[in-house]
Amino acid sequence: MSQTLILLHKSLLTFRRSRAAMVITFLVPIVLIYLFGHVFGLYRKDFGPTGIPLAVVNASVEPAAQQLIDALKAESAFRLITERKDPAGVSRPLTEADVRTGLRENQYRFALILPADLLTEKQLGLHFRFLTNPRNEIEAQTVRGVLQKTIFSNVPQLLGQALQKRAKKFLGAERFDQFNGTIAGAVSRAFGGDAARIQEEIASGNFLPSAGPAPAADPTLRRLDGPTGAAVAAASPAPAAATSPSSDGLGRLVRFETEQVAGKEVKNPMAARLVGGYAIMFLLFAVSGSASAFFQEKDSGVFQRLLASPVRPAHILWARFLFGVILGLVQISTLFLAGRWFFGLEIFTHAGALLAVALSAAAACSAFGMLIAAVSPNATAASGLATFVVISMSAVGGAWFPVSFMPDTIQAISKLTLVYWSVEGFTDVLWAGRSFLEVLPNVGILCGIAAGVMAVAIWRFNRGGLFA
Amino acid sequence: MLQLRSVTKRYGPLTALDDVSLDLARGEFFGLLGPNGAGKSTLMSLVAGLRVPEAGTVMLDDEPLTASHAAARRNLGLVPQHVALYPELTAEENLRIFGQLQGLRGSLLQARIDEAFAAVQLADRRRSLVRTFSGGMQRRLNLVAALLHQPKLLLCDEPTVGVDPQSRHAIFEYLQHLNRAGVTIIYSTHYMEEAERLCSRIGIIDHGRILALGTLDDLLTRLPFEDEVTFPSTPATAALASQLAAHGEIVATNGTQRFRPHPSYPLSAFFTLTESLGLPPRLFVSQRPSLESVFLDLTGRTLRE
Repeated sequence: MSQTLILLHKSLLTFRRSRAAMVITFLVPIVLIYLFGHVFGLYRKDFGPTGIPLAVVNASVEPAAQQLIDALKAESAFRLITERKDPAGVSRPLTEADVRTGLRENQYRFALILPADLLTEKQLGLHFRFLTNPRNEIEAQTVRGVLQKTIFSNVPQLLGQALQKRAKKFLGAERFDQFNGTIAGAVSRAFGGDAARIQEEIASGNFLPSAGPAPAADPTLRRLDGPTGAAVAAASPAPAAATSPSSDGLGRLVRFETEQVAGKEVKNPMAARLVGGYAIMFLLFAVSGSASAFFQEKDSGVFQRLLASPVRPAHILWARFLFGVILGLVQISTLFLAGRWFFGLEIFTHAGALLAVALSAAAACSAFGMLIAAVSPNATAASGLATFVVISMSAVGGAWFPVSFMPDTIQAISKLTLVYWSVEGFTDVLWAGRSFLEVLPNVGILCGIAAGVMAVAIWRFNRGGLFA
Repeated sequence: MLQLRSVTKRYGPLTALDDVSLDLARGEFFGLLGPNGAGKSTLMSLVAGLRVPEAGTVMLDDEPLTASHAAARRNLGLVPQHVALYPELTAEENLRIFGQLQGLRGSLLQARIDEAFAAVQLADRRRSLVRTFSGGMQRRLNLVAALLHQPKLLLCDEPTVGVDPQSRHAIFEYLQHLNRAGVTIIYSTHYMEEAERLCSRIGIIDHGRILALGTLDDLLTRLPFEDEVTFPSTPATAALASQLAAHGEIVATNGTQRFRPHPSYPLSAFFTLTESLGLPPRLFVSQRPSLESVFLDLTGRTLRE
């Protein structure tokens, strides 16, 4: 044991002396996490995309079209472009020809056309055209999703207006007014309110009056939705609960109530996952680099000198393993402290659980570094293999991207990686606030991975030529 | 003290050592001379317990030298062929770690470290990082790192490769001092002048076999000639070579002719002949046989081929 500790002391001393190792192990990850924080917007309160240029051509005379444009302007995801300047410097509304040119010239990559037949009596529903130059498919899908959300959340009365237009076509103007007037009269008699105003609302496609403050002139309109609105408010159990931002009655035909059950108190939820994932990835790189030091010691003849003295290969292996664990623990702790400094991560609330996950993750990573050294014929091969495996395992294990977004097969494979269990462990502590006892199963899996990988590494070392 | 009995070591199809037997007495300075790939380092690694022979035994003071016999291995020190030190640590930190691994602690370890620095004249650089040392300084430190525990048997595997003359001289002096103090030394080299200068007994090894074993005088007396004259192979000396064939042996190597006259053919006759052929005396070098001659006689090639 004392031989192992002497060699461990040597490794720590050597590491402390190497400025390059210190920089690569600590400074580079901290700088990269800081930069990634900016890239992923961890310093902002809203994590979604912002300011994506969206050209809008309004060829419709419907008042609702302008309502839609106003709603899109209010959406932070977009920066709306509705006009262009001619050579004389005079602004004019965009035309479809303009946006096609703009898309081809990559002035913007998305354009929404509100055509003249936005609402038509010929068919039920709305008619939009969405033009894209999808250089990035993820961006295109994101924009399409935000656009649909904005349309259906903010201007659902467009659908009502389309229905009214179609009804007018089939009934004729006179019978249409008569039909709406009859309905408005019945509503007025049953619930109160001004029949003429109710008829006007129905004709505009707004079948259910606003849930917001009712017009002072007609307080009775509240009776149509007031109790429901009150019920919704009462059902919301926490301030974090949020409802769809619809301001219109139709918007509540399909109603989503979003409630965050876990992690409500987490100051920076995305950072909780990002820092943990990147900490593991950088640790894997660090221990892989330290494993390649095996080959330097072999090539320099140090192993010969050691093994000619009362030192056995097991002493060298365990010293290197322990060094990896200590290095990992220090590196993870440093990165989480940086995470607290940069993003306000709550690392001290469950320090015991976090330490347990960090220790087991460091052990698993250190064992992984040993395996890389055990299966590689030389330092160059070890470096190349480590880079390939670390990047693959980080991607599949969810260090960069949520595993739930991946195909089923990859999700199954990810559970075989130490990155997955490490990231899950850190997220359990930092996000879900799990205690030491609650993370023990995760810690057990990581320790199991460490033991299994170390056993394979030792078996390979005994069969390989590192100590020959 | 050290006994090798019918030791054979193979690496796949290659036989690195072939039925080698060797006995070393306490206090010997034994030189192992041979070209690269002859089997010197393999023999060293077997004695150091780093490798296990396929056949035969290696015993130190009647104890087998294997990886599991830590006590026996405490009696030997290995100076590897490369500079086997930690370059990011200071010279003193290196010696402290290697001393601790040999079981030394406290004041005894400190005293041995101080002695080591004094012996190789590096006391003023003890706190410098090894990577800042010159090649010669690193070699000197490499040597004393194997001596902190005062081994009975020191294995030096080509310890002066790439060393400047000053450091080489310092290393030689120190090794001779150790040998005089009773340390048995096995010194592998392909420099004949080192073996000639240092070793009390020499083994010539090639292709895994020990071809000859003895003191320098023993080896030289085995040669079938007493003198040797070398001259360049040129068109002018071609006629000379053909005439000399009747009076001795002519060996051509690397653009050089070596003439080994029969004992009955005096060198004065040789120089009379060269004068008659109009060949200037500066072309010819007359010398007593050396280890190079012995190696050439045994293998038909020079050490550096």
